Amino acid sequence: MLAYLVRRILIGLLTLVLITFVVYALIRNMPGTPLTYQLGETDPSRKIRPEDLERMKRAYGLDKPWYVAYFQWMGNLLRGDLGRSLSRKQAVSVLIGERIGPTLLLSATSLILAYLLSVPLGLYASVRNGTYDERIISTLLYMLYSLPSFVAALFLLSVFAMQLAGTPFELPLFGMYSDHFRELPFFGKVLDIMRHMFLPVLCYTYGSLAYFCRFVKSNMLEVIRQDYIRTARAKGVPPTRVVVVHAFRNTLIPFVTLVGLTLPGLLSGSVILEQIFAWPGMGRLFFEAITERDYPTIMGLVLMFSVLTLLGQLLADILYAVVDPRVTYS
Amino acid sequence: MNKTMVEARDQLAGASTESGRGGLEAPGSRGFWAEAWIRFRRRRLAMIALWYVVILAIVGVLSPAIVGTRPIVCKYKGRIYFPALAYYNRRWEPAIFFRDKFRQRYPENLKKRDPTSWAIWPLVYQDPYRRVGENEWPGQPGNPTGAQGRPNRYNLMGTTQEGIDVFAQMVHGARTALLVGFVSTGVAAAIGIFIGALAGYFGGWIDIVLSRLIELVMCVPTLVLILALLAIIDKPTIWHVMLVIGVTGWTGIARLTRGEFIRLKNTEFVLAARALGAGGLRIIFRHILPNALAPVLVPISFGVASAILIESGLSFLGFGPPPPHPSWGTLLNAGRTNLQMWWLILFPGSAIFLTVLAYNLIGEAIQEATDPRLREAGK
Repeated sequence: MLAYLVRRILIGLLTLVLITFVVYALIRNMPGTPLTYQLGETDPSRKIRPEDLERMKRAYGLDKPWYVAYFQWMGNLLRGDLGRSLSRKQAVSVLIGERIGPTLLLSATSLILAYLLSVPLGLYASVRNGTYDERIISTLLYMLYSLPSFVAALFLLSVFAMQLAGTPFELPLFGMYSDHFRELPFFGKVLDIMRHMFLPVLCYTYGSLAYFCRFVKSNMLEVIRQDYIRTARAKGVPPTRVVVVHAFRNTLIPFVTLVGLTLPGLLSGSVILEQIFAWPGMGRLFFEAITERDYPTIMGLVLMFSVLTLLGQLLADILYAVVDPRVTYS
Repeated sequence: MNKTMVEARDQLAGASTESGRGGLEAPGSRGFWAEAWIRFRRRRLAMIALWYVVILAIVGVLSPAIVGTRPIVCKYKGRIYFPALAYYNRRWEPAIFFRDKFRQRYPENLKKRDPTSWAIWPLVYQDPYRRVGENEWPGQPGNPTGAQGRPNRYNLMGTTQEGIDVFAQMVHGARTALLVGFVSTGVAAAIGIFIGALAGYFGGWIDIVLSRLIELVMCVPTLVLILALLAIIDKPTIWHVMLVIGVTGWTGIARLTRGEFIRLKNTEFVLAARALGAGGLRIIFRHILPNALAPVLVPISFGVASAILIESGLSFLGFGPPPPHPSWGTLLNAGRTNLQMWWLILFPGSAIFLTVLAYNLIGEAIQEATDPRLREAGK
């Protein structure tokens, strides 16, 4: 087990180096630099003198070719320094720390909701397989699965923020807080955030809910045909117990893998959804960093996403061994 | 190798491919694909989806004949022209209309400059790129702008803030969706099958290197990769967008192809082909690939759905091809800033949703029709 872990981690580190190298090469070769971006923002009469530009380039390490700069970035990283954002004059780690909370608030809530709802729904669908109500549920879930979240977000916004404006059901258009947030009492604050969260969480959740449900159902249908289920039924085990204890427990293995694979989604957020709802999270930060050509921030985020992806895969493999005694890595 | 041997080898190879497809069969019985098609046809939803996709493809291909401001065929100063072709490619607009200063106003200019001219017009006189003004088409009022542009007789799906017809953009956007779906999935399939086949067939260090590569691309979040790649290109056109979507979306196909090749490379028919002296590439593409194609078709069908989804998402974010370009995502983006103009959200949103749904349904039906394991489960 230990040898396996060490090998996996080493391979993972190698993959990380490769990913960051490729991404660094890509972003440094995008047209425009953080400096030209900022200059475009300020008014053209205050043009920066060429020697100042040179000085700034040196200060930001932009005067070196990208492969040299990459190794500099790598060296700083090994010393625990993610660098400073070029456009925001803040340490990247601080910037990410600010944005991590809002993203987690959305994604963790929606992931927990999706898991909690999908298991009973999936079990129900597999028990009632072939009946009328199961058909309706499955078709609805399938349609939800194909409904792009940004389309759903716009539909919901136009209903809740526009058509229902003025009624008690009106929901805020964007952002995380209302303008008068500071004056609210504690419960008012919680309620305010919850009102802002409602639509984004809904958009985050329905897709994965549909996916998990189908996943549970297809695995259950495979297990329920096994001989040991028939045996359990024959010896008089109550039906719910057969479904939950005998059948569902045996579908846990693929389900656990799914947990591992959804882990990176927790933080990477959805660039598009956070953009629509103007949610101050990581996805939005990434989008802004790309348009601002803010190299250190992009690199910090990419590093974090890839570490999480690799960790998720590793976790899934380890959990495999935990739930299934037949799987060992020795 | 002399001629008879080549013939014998080809015969044997052909026979082995057959047996790999459907087991020993009496001559004249249905092949694997015919069998799969029969099973596919039994699924009513999948057939509806297939019809939807076919109709969408026809609409996309014929879009300039359905909505446009250029005649499909016209006779002008004694010659026949096809100005509507300019919707496919700007450079196909006949030069004479530039010389005669038509300025895109065909109906009045045709009559004015050549009274004997005739023309066959598209079904609806509207344009996906610009606002149609008053009396441009005799008796047709100018397009309303802003929130006034709700669906009406002349603008079946309303107009945008600038007064450009939504129906025209939807129909021409179908062409974009069609193109994006097939070209980017084609690119992805070509890369994925090639890499997966090499990794699966040769194994050893080639497999290790290629598997790492697959893992690498899978690890970087797709949108990150696409945004970074698109940012490198100075002025991305629709072709760049398609290429980038294809280049980032091949990993699923590669993994599946690799698995199929590992499974098939030790079968008898491959051994037979190798014994007859077939080279590596010939075995890969002529012998194994046809037998591995059915499971690979499934991620390809899902890939079309996700390519269309990604393109509309990119256009929605403003990273798509430049503005004068009809895309469902661009329309949605216009709706995002004008939420009270519901027709800007409802129509393109539904189109994207239905198209993605259709390709998903087709993919799933292919999966169930070609996978013997699922077939038994269905009984």
